Amino acid sequence: MSIIIDSKGLSKHYGRTKALDNFDLTLEAGNPIALVGPNGAGKTTFLSLICGFIHPSAGEVSVLDHKPGSQDLSGRLAALPQDARFDPALSVGRQLKLYAQLQGMSGAQANAEVMRVLEIIKLPEVIGEKSEALSHGMRKRVALAQALLGQPEVILLDEPTAGIDPPNVKIIRDLIQEQSENATFVISSHNLDELEKLCSTVVYMEKGKLLHTGPIDPADDVAYLTLRMQSVDEQIFIEACSQLTGVVSVQRQAQGDFLIECDDGVVVDQSLLSLLATRGWDYKYLAKGRSLEERLYG
Amino acid sequence: MAALAIARLELLRLFSTKRGWIATIAFLLVWTLIIRYIIYPAADWLSSPDTGPLADLLLGSIGLEGISRWPSAEIALYWVLSLYLLPFFCIMIAADQIASDKARGTLRYITLRASRSNVFFGRFIGQAFIQFLLIAATLFSVVALVAFRSPDRLSGVLETLPMVVTNVFIVLLPYIALMALVSVLAKSARQATLFAVIGWILVSLIVAWVQSQYGPFALLDWVLPGSQISTLIKMSGWQTLELAAVPLLHTVVLLVLGWWAMQRCDL
Repeated sequence: MSIIIDSKGLSKHYGRTKALDNFDLTLEAGNPIALVGPNGAGKTTFLSLICGFIHPSAGEVSVLDHKPGSQDLSGRLAALPQDARFDPALSVGRQLKLYAQLQGMSGAQANAEVMRVLEIIKLPEVIGEKSEALSHGMRKRVALAQALLGQPEVILLDEPTAGIDPPNVKIIRDLIQEQSENATFVISSHNLDELEKLCSTVVYMEKGKLLHTGPIDPADDVAYLTLRMQSVDEQIFIEACSQLTGVVSVQRQAQGDFLIECDDGVVVDQSLLSLLATRGWDYKYLAKGRSLEERLYG
Repeated sequence: MAALAIARLELLRLFSTKRGWIATIAFLLVWTLIIRYIIYPAADWLSSPDTGPLADLLLGSIGLEGISRWPSAEIALYWVLSLYLLPFFCIMIAADQIASDKARGTLRYITLRASRSNVFFGRFIGQAFIQFLLIAATLFSVVALVAFRSPDRLSGVLETLPMVVTNVFIVLLPYIALMALVSVLAKSARQATLFAVIGWILVSLIVAWVQSQYGPFALLDWVLPGSQISTLIKMSGWQTLELAAVPLLHTVVLLVLGWWAMQRCDL
């Protein structure tokens, strides 16, 4: 596996505020990587440093073996920066064409590439539109289109689905899934369900520091089952479930799922399903392990 | 190549957008008023046999006797007015080289693909080309006026055109560079203009204070962009290029400062 991002002792201070503090992280090419943490964790700062939008106060970071902002990264590193907007004076197509040309494409190649990425985001009709005329969701998709120009090896997405409606979220999620075969995505988001569906690695940050990095479904999380019921009396269900062999505890979580903790090495799935069948209880969803939210904040 | 692509976009922003066309039309309308109500009647007054000698005397008394050496009164007036007015237009037109793109985040999309140097110098080159086109447009209006009023002087006026274009263009370069610098620091075109005015006043005050406290320093007279204009205005012919080093040096210094600010700023 090749290293795509490597940071050593990376820090960014704004006055006395340490937005990023001595941050060491190495990320490898492959499946999408989730960058999570509460507000102020330093996710956007880290992505901005990688892109060269801001300069580190200390430490260093390299992207594909180059310094951020290097011309050698043009066309190899792409990003969807949070809150960045297109020029309202020029059409979406004209701006995308300029970006493609800056990546080294000729006029004809750039025109074809603009159509290709607009087809990918399923918005070819907006080529002549100004970005201000588009809805928030469409603008996000267009911004994602600029990140797909050429064949970037690394694509950084900062809150790609923030504030947009479910249909657009689904389109963006499907698109990332399709494109992740060609590039490594690093996705910063507060939508943990979304990240769980897309990513295989999670990087957890808090107060500018790296707290945890590893697989999103760790092997040591098998002692848990997450169950979402159709409708059931909570007390009766917890009592019945707790009596199953190997069940250590049953907890109702905030979003309505039940988290069942089991003894190590004991398989509870079959007896749990038998219990549900016997009592005539319908379930919506049964998964091994805990949700990402439960593991990070539970 | 990247710098040229960015420079081309500056032209596109001016000439293919509604906002750009409105700015261009506003400039041309103001210039039409200047032609109609300043250059036209003043040229009449200067070239009239009745008032001409008096005009020469008056111009001579304020050190503008060089004006009478121009092939026509229209081009002589253009020379004086362009040196004083075009810098103001230039400051307004070139104010938004970086500022609003930076505030909006558009610059982030661009700097993922082009270096900050390319963006900075590309925008400067684009603005310089726009100013060149505006100079050409204003000069064309004066040539048309001469052709209409005194065609016998047209060939003489045409001979001076390369010198006038070169000079006025060189005079405007430091103003474009100044606006490139302040637009890196500002969040909008309006703020950039404000920064330029404040900077101008501060430097003037500092220069005046240093001059009054520590005696006259000839070098300080040349610190501000445009400091050569009062001398330049009295000259004519290719002799005017004797002072070209001053605006060119201003341009280089301001561009270096702007480039440095661009490298260091957060996007």
